[in-house]
Amino acid sequence: MQCGVILRQSQKSTHTDDAMQRPAIRCYHVCMTVNASPFNSFWHMGRTTLRWFISGWRIVLFSMLVLTLAISPATYHRENRHAIAHQIVLGTFQNLIWFSVLSSLISLILIRIVVITALSYGLSKYALEMVVRVLVLELIPLTAALFVALRRTLPDGVELAEMRRRGDLALLQQQGIDPIRREFFPRAVAGMFSVLMLAAVSCVLSLILAYLSIYGFTHWALPGYTRVVGQIFNPAVSMIFLLKTIFFSMAVSLSPMASSLYDTRDTPLHSRSKAANELAAMVRLFFVILLIEVASLMGNYY
Amino acid sequence: MQERPDNSDLAPDPPPPPSGMQAMPQNLEFKAAILLLFLIVLVCGSVAYLMYARGAFESTQELVLLADDSEGVVVGMDLTFSGFPIGRVSRIELSTEGKARMIVDVAEKDAHWLRTSSVFAMERGIVGSTKMRAYTGVPTDPPLPAGAERTLLVGDVAAEIPLLVASAKQLIENLNGLTAAESALSTSLSNLQGLTEKFNGPHGALGGLMGNEKDAKKLVATLDRANSVLTKVDGLLVKADNQIFGKDGNSQATIVQLNAMLGEARASLKKVDAVLVDAQAISANAKIATSDLDVLRADVDRSLRKVDQLVTEINRKWPFARDTELTLP
Repeated sequence: MQCGVILRQSQKSTHTDDAMQRPAIRCYHVCMTVNASPFNSFWHMGRTTLRWFISGWRIVLFSMLVLTLAISPATYHRENRHAIAHQIVLGTFQNLIWFSVLSSLISLILIRIVVITALSYGLSKYALEMVVRVLVLELIPLTAALFVALRRTLPDGVELAEMRRRGDLALLQQQGIDPIRREFFPRAVAGMFSVLMLAAVSCVLSLILAYLSIYGFTHWALPGYTRVVGQIFNPAVSMIFLLKTIFFSMAVSLSPMASSLYDTRDTPLHSRSKAANELAAMVRLFFVILLIEVASLMGNYY
Repeated sequence: MQERPDNSDLAPDPPPPPSGMQAMPQNLEFKAAILLLFLIVLVCGSVAYLMYARGAFESTQELVLLADDSEGVVVGMDLTFSGFPIGRVSRIELSTEGKARMIVDVAEKDAHWLRTSSVFAMERGIVGSTKMRAYTGVPTDPPLPAGAERTLLVGDVAAEIPLLVASAKQLIENLNGLTAAESALSTSLSNLQGLTEKFNGPHGALGGLMGNEKDAKKLVATLDRANSVLTKVDGLLVKADNQIFGKDGNSQATIVQLNAMLGEARASLKKVDAVLVDAQAISANAKIATSDLDVLRADVDRSLRKVDQLVTEINRKWPFARDTELTLP
């Protein structure tokens, strides 16, 4: 309880909006009473919706915090730089090779399926375009984001929540070290970097594998292939692709961190078991990813 | 939860570092910088490749294509020549006459394939995107100058579909009318069916032609009678043949008699011919005489007139006779 109090005080003094939590504490206990009346059901739905909006708002707040720290020179002092480098290497290096191999295998299979199917229907000239649009534009950024989320950022969020529960973050604060700059920011940046790196490497590998699968080991088809790729990646599509990847990286990195920073034991999520909390954070993350994907599809094809 | 030590005399132990930061590998910043550099190179290389793919580093010349509408044409679409892309649509706009104006950037290295007599066509198929093609019939013509304007010939399969559908609809309506239950064709077919049923009847085609069995029977009876008549005539002919041309027949004598009669008739005709010649002479003389008679008659009339005048003169001068008869009114 002592560390929880200290943390709440430290949050008051530095980052969080604690005033919004007090009404939530009172309302939470009142509404736990089981009552079958429709009024209470609507009230409960309304509060759940409000809680969702509040958690979304906190993610936006954390994003602004990370952005502010990113442009602050103090963030890149030696110790912080070391922490950032550590998280980047930890988050990217280990996953890069595995994800590249995995995505290459899956890409090869998908390319083969698409090419054979298109050939059987006499639509082989559309096979390349379909492969590039499906794999490079849609599947690879999504899988890279999900891979990093499951392998890196969601466990990082859980780790941070544990650290806060144990009082490690409070300890850092007592030592005069900003836990946001030392723990949260490096992980968030490493997560974003990891998504961008994995997506970029896998997209390039997929393009190479698509060429080799369709045309073989010859360079004579390169001009035609380049032309088709250039036609697919017009300015609008390129911009949507870039923005989608960036938003994926931000969603994957910032959502778990925000949850671990702002969710307290007063919020219903935190009062459940650890697995339930993780699952809830995952669902929220997937919902955000789904929204970004739908928006990009609308921008590309609507 | 971390607890602080109560013994204030002893110097506090340095707190353990938070988890996750205990084992720091060496050269972390260098590795992170390598990764960052790799990402930057990858992204910049991809951007450069895409710009090259879209022809940003290619020297081009402009070609303006005019069409009634630019439906299906998008910026970045290829202009092909013999299946090879030689140009790219860079802009689509409306001209002052309200026509679609498509500006195509043709690569300078491929511009020599386009000549002043080149023809440009746009094909809109049912499946697939619109295609723009260039055709050069006379390769020795002067090269197409930069900024040249040409009219695009449009071939739209999809635009013919409504006409085709309308024609097919009309055809189907006509067919429906033809094949309806109360249509003339249906009635004709049902009549034909009845006719064929009659053809399959006991009297066959004859029964169908006559329409009813009674008339068919009459015709059959008529045919039978005709057959019998023909048989009799045949017998007659046989007999006549025997009579005339047979060994016991008198046809030969009859023919000889006929020949003799014909000879006599010929001689008679010759005489008649002579008589006719005489008659002709007589009629000619009569004709002459008739004409002379007319003259004679005219003379006689003249003479009589003179005598009458003489008598009248004499009576006037010497009245020998007195008319004593009184004629009452």
